[in-house]
Amino acid sequence: MASITAVIPRPTSYAGLWGWITTVDHKRIAVLYGVTAFIFLLIAGAEAGVIRMQLASADNDLIGPGRFNQMFTMHATVMVFMVIMPLSVSFFNFVIPLAIGARDVAFPRLNALSYWIFLFGGILMHMSFVVDQVPDAGWFSYANLTEKPFSVNRGLDYWSISLLVLGTSSVAGALNFVVTIINMRAPGMSMMRMPVFVWMTLITSLLLVLAFPVITVGLIELTMDRNFGTHFFIPAEGGDPVLWQHLFWIFGHPEVYILILPSMGVVSEILPTFSRKPLFGYPFIIFSGIVIGIMGWAVWSHHMFTVGLGPVANSVFTITTMLIAVPTGVKIFNWIGTLWKGALEFTTPMLFALGFVALFIVGGLSGVSHAVSPSDFQQQDTYYIVAHIHYVLFGGSMFGIFAGAYYWYPKITGKMLNETVGKINFWLLFIGMNLTFFPMHFLGMNGMPRRIYTYSAEFGWENLNRIASFGYVVLAIGMLVFMYNVWQSRNSRRVGHDPWDAPGIEWSIASPPPPYNFAEIPQVLGRDHYWIVKENAEAAGTPITEPEALVDPSSIHMPSPSYWPIFTAVGVALIGGGLLSHYALSFVGGVIAFIGVVAWSNEPAAAPPKEHH
Amino acid sequence: MGLSPFRRAGSLSSHSASPSKAFSGRQSRLKSRTVLFGLMAAIFLFATGCSMDGMSTWDALGPVAEKQLELFNVLLWAMVAVFVLVEGVLLYAIIRYRKRPGQPKPPQIHGNTTLEITLTIIPTILVLGLGIWSVFTLFDLEDPPTTGPDALHVNVTAHQWWFEFEYPDTGSGKHIITANELRIPVDRPITLSLESDDVIHSFWVPKLAGKLDMIPTHVNEMWFQADSDKIDEALPVTLFGQCAELCGLAHALMRFRVTVMDQADFDSWAAAYGPPPANTEQAKAGQQLFQQNCTLCHTIDGPDDPALSASRLSGFLTGGDITPVPAPNLTDLRTRQTLAAGITDLTEAHLREWLRNPEDLKPGNYMSSRAVLYQGGNASLSDQEIDQLVAYLLDIR
Amino acid sequence: MAHTAEHEYTTTGLNHRKMLMWVFLGSDCLFFAALIATYMVYRGQSLVGPYPVDIINVPVTTISTFVLLMSSFAMVQALASTHANNKNAIVGWLMATAILGAIFIGFQIVEFNTFKNEGLTLGGNLFGATFFTLTGFHGAHVTLGIIWLVIMAIVGAKGRLGPDTALDVELLGLYWHFVDIVWIVIFTLLYLIGGFDAGPAALSGG
Ligand code: HEA
Ligand code: HEA
Ligand code: HEC
Ligand code: CUA
Ligand SMILES: [Cu+2]
Repeated sequence: MASITAVIPRPTSYAGLWGWITTVDHKRIAVLYGVTAFIFLLIAGAEAGVIRMQLASADNDLIGPGRFNQMFTMHATVMVFMVIMPLSVSFFNFVIPLAIGARDVAFPRLNALSYWIFLFGGILMHMSFVVDQVPDAGWFSYANLTEKPFSVNRGLDYWSISLLVLGTSSVAGALNFVVTIINMRAPGMSMMRMPVFVWMTLITSLLLVLAFPVITVGLIELTMDRNFGTHFFIPAEGGDPVLWQHLFWIFGHPEVYILILPSMGVVSEILPTFSRKPLFGYPFIIFSGIVIGIMGWAVWSHHMFTVGLGPVANSVFTITTMLIAVPTGVKIFNWIGTLWKGALEFTTPMLFALGFVALFIVGGLSGVSHAVSPSDFQQQDTYYIVAHIHYVLFGGSMFGIFAGAYYWYPKITGKMLNETVGKINFWLLFIGMNLTFFPMHFLGMNGMPRRIYTYSAEFGWENLNRIASFGYVVLAIGMLVFMYNVWQSRNSRRVGHDPWDAPGIEWSIASPPPPYNFAEIPQVLGRDHYWIVKENAEAAGTPITEPEALVDPSSIHMPSPSYWPIFTAVGVALIGGGLLSHYALSFVGGVIAFIGVVAWSNEPAAAPPKEHH
Repeated sequence: MGLSPFRRAGSLSSHSASPSKAFSGRQSRLKSRTVLFGLMAAIFLFATGCSMDGMSTWDALGPVAEKQLELFNVLLWAMVAVFVLVEGVLLYAIIRYRKRPGQPKPPQIHGNTTLEITLTIIPTILVLGLGIWSVFTLFDLEDPPTTGPDALHVNVTAHQWWFEFEYPDTGSGKHIITANELRIPVDRPITLSLESDDVIHSFWVPKLAGKLDMIPTHVNEMWFQADSDKIDEALPVTLFGQCAELCGLAHALMRFRVTVMDQADFDSWAAAYGPPPANTEQAKAGQQLFQQNCTLCHTIDGPDDPALSASRLSGFLTGGDITPVPAPNLTDLRTRQTLAAGITDLTEAHLREWLRNPEDLKPGNYMSSRAVLYQGGNASLSDQEIDQLVAYLLDIR
Repeated sequence: MAHTAEHEYTTTGLNHRKMLMWVFLGSDCLFFAALIATYMVYRGQSLVGPYPVDIINVPVTTISTFVLLMSSFAMVQALASTHANNKNAIVGWLMATAILGAIFIGFQIVEFNTFKNEGLTLGGNLFGATFFTLTGFHGAHVTLGIIWLVIMAIVGAKGRLGPDTALDVELLGLYWHFVDIVWIVIFTLLYLIGGFDAGPAALSGG
């Protein structure tokens, strides 16, 4: 087995395309995640555009029901699993090692593997468009609509198998971050000194590790029903379609916190920075995050109020769901407390962070009104829910991600995004978002069901739908402005290592950071480490103007690049692809993955020093 | 149009007036343009938003919908209050504490435990209060009142993509099966057993009650009632219903109607239930055609034979291109107002259109995909034959 | 297997890979929990036979369960030998673990075959679907473990296992014991408790 590694010499350089393909550097993997997920965002956003165009007027027949169902299914699946989650992971990757004073994640090659599996899983899902057998049962694909004979083509197989592949990637990534955060903190970085973003990453990763196996089982059962003759969800044979709903939402509700907690973490970094004040009530924010993570497991049936589980179950889930508003409220109050008496500076990241708080409150409050089951009987499966999910997901998760992108961009690239363009970007998204999604509250209460491709004029939904579709145009322009901002930044001047005068450890090193991050692992002084350092320096009369000194890279032993992550990922993807075409291909994939794993474990994480130049 | 959705004149203003009242107190306190603008926008949206049209949930016509709306209204105002308060403080902080030139470093406050505890307890009390109230409402609405008139029972079965209504006992001794139009007597509780023959659907008449899913092999029970004192139009009135769970291609076109009528009208409708008489030449020819082409799936002479419906269902579930499938019982088609699950009014012209090619009116439906005579797209029937079928089904003299 | 990262600094003092294994096993717990939940939900819901009482053979599976338990004992010995740096014992105990595991899998293959001949299939009824899925995924875990054991035995035979690399064996041991414990749960639920279930009507009585 050792011979495999001997035959193919280990890659040694980070230059060129191969450098990216074989990279195990967390900062590069972060960029790969970010760029890939942004492309998926454009695709899913374009699908939303098709939806909005179709709904812009009553009795429209731009696209038929078949296409429409595919559009919202792929829109949501891609947004959730291939946009928000990987964008969050992109931040985990870039920020976590820097924020805890580490040189990389605990398992750099596993990290690369996660990315490649994510990429291939995403491509596999989109192959469904190539064969024109696109998933079309909605993002939670309720059984038994997903069973043959109600869904004859292979669309749902693409959906379930790609999600299984993507799940592998997410769990592998999450395992890595749990270990990294618990085990790789710089000396002095106790748990209660960790930045909130790190805490939220830890909670998110634990949720992922525990929630994904549940949906994995659901997806396996669905795949077996469709391909191997079982009847898990087929009522005619004794199966129960409601079991799918339980499995999906036991995963699904923790999943929505997986989608929001990273953004909450980002915001908790940005608000103090631009208020020039430490975070208000740090322990309460951490603790409420933990409580949310735990309570998130006890509320799943609020998605199933209309299933007919009976008044007892509905009562229990009403109460547990309503109580979850309390820890979330604690966070909101503490963010406001952070602003209080501060010196607020309205940079673009700050605007997005404030936008997050403002919009998330709206989404959270509509969430509470779903939680009251008797009133949810009227709301469930209407546009009122669509309004809720976009306030929390777009106004919440997406705004947090934009805030983080503007905030860390100078650290990632060494260049600033243009602030004026950034502010235009913010206002377009903020206004566009409210134009698009606020009217949906009324549409829902006026009885417009979700997932309908057409509606007749007599229901009086047309005007509000027009506003929403117009709002989409504003959003799309906002997105284009963001892309322009990134594109124009290639010419902008370089900035110093600490453009925001920020408290995080990551700001103490050069921008972009050297491959080894820290020349010397820092000794963490407190919660807002770099503020303390700067203050101490100021007091000593030697204000800090330069980042930590650079050192000769070869003196620091870093993990070396490797072929095996992408090699193994190809194997994993082929296993999935084979299930969708020829089982023989799955076998080949299995063999490839096995070789990859064995070769991998034979290869030392870091090449012996002599291989360094 | 005879089918015009039920509307309530005048109630629009009462709904839009209250938000502005609640907002106005705050506006004077917070003399901020931005806030004012935002609130104006919200009020505007409220005013234009809460229309009373067809499917609106703002317009409860019975005790169940009313209680649900009541709870929602309380919630709405509680949430609006929380919204105004929290966003107000947020906005105040944003404006008040913006950085001023030359401002020294602000005080480095780390937290305040008393404040934290207070701000945990207040929301807890609020949500627990609302939660407990909703528990009471839940149990309250579980069963119809035992006092008052006897409930009328209806079995509802969902199919892709239409609803079947069965009245085991209308009081007239008739066993009625019909489709897509539920007729109910006013001021009388209606109990429904909901089930599905294929995938999951959801039964929803916003003005009468929130929705309840229709799940294969689960029988869900619900009830509602239409109150005459809440309806200020002459009976009968027709309300909209819609399937609310994604159930495949024609989910959007899986609608239905509920006609609220006087008990007397209801009784005479029930008494008149029966197959079209076919007493013209035209209709007789149509009857013949119907027997040849349509009875594989449709029944037209009273309640379906259970054995027949079972065989249609299993034919459908086992798939295959051309098989019998469950289809609406057409016995009383001529007394109905709508066609093909409430997507259009039942007129001669529309029925002709439907029979020529159902796909044009309702993409995805199983009549065009599974019936032999639509395998070529348009019906393999001449215009004259279609006229005969129409004459028979609608009893045109 | 050469791992250089063994003695690096960690915040908690716990090795990275060990922690990874623990968290992974936590994740795997939920995986089996969901499979077991499916089994429990569908217990007694099969519309047609064969029902558990018709085919489940508790005595035979008790033997294979015992074999699997013994393999855990062998695994403990393998780890002890690694710490003691006794090359032959390492290889011997690792192979013993693998062989006991293989015997367990052998029992499972025979069992699956018998059940199939008696009419229990994936598609036949819900009992078949839940039974084969749950025990099948457990069997797959055991099989992976056996492959891992054999590879480690080969590594050991090359003299590359010892106190310095004891962690490699320890991780394998963690995995193996976990798979073993999961089997105990499955055995209890599917055989000892559920093994006597008859058709749906019979179950509702008691
Ligand atoms: C980022 C993702 C995210 C987040 C964070 C949330 C947060 C919440 N969600 Fe949401 N939800 C979704 C994403 C999310 N949701 C999605 C995607 C769906 C639809 C799935 C589908 O059907 O497709 C959904 C659906 C959904 C439903 C099902 C509706 C239905 O289908 O009928 C319910 C029901 O209870 C619900 C409730 C809640 C609640 C109570 C919260 C709470 O956590 C919110 C808490 C926050 C606040 C309350 C605001 C701030 C607090 C204060 C200012 C304190 C004071 C407040 C009070 C005293 C009330 N959500
Ligand atoms: C995870 C987050 C997320 C995000 C960010 C969004 C973003 C958006 N969503 Fe989505 N949505 C969901 C998650 C999300 N959604 C979910 C879970 C559902 C439920 C689905 C279901 O029922 O199963 C849903 C459903 C949903 C519906 C209801 C469909 C239905 O029920 O019939 C609608 C309708 O308007 C909608 C609209 C939008 C819009 C306009 C945006 C906008 O914010 C999008 C903004 C993005 C852009 C504007 C991109 C612009 C792109 C370009 C400018 C370039 C294009 C060029 C190329 C492709 C090269 N969404
Ligand atoms: C293969 C089965 C099949 C055959 C044959 C068939 N139909 Fe249908 N028919 C259906 C189905 C299914 C529907 C329900 C369509 C929907 O609303 O989704 C339907 C609906 C209808 C409706 C509308 C019913 C309503 O309640 O609004 C009419 C009218 C109708 N069919 C008439 C006919 C006539 C006349 C023929 C023969 C010429 C015929 N059908 C042949 C399956 C069939
Ligand atoms: Cu039936 Cu949607
Ligand atoms: Cu939820």
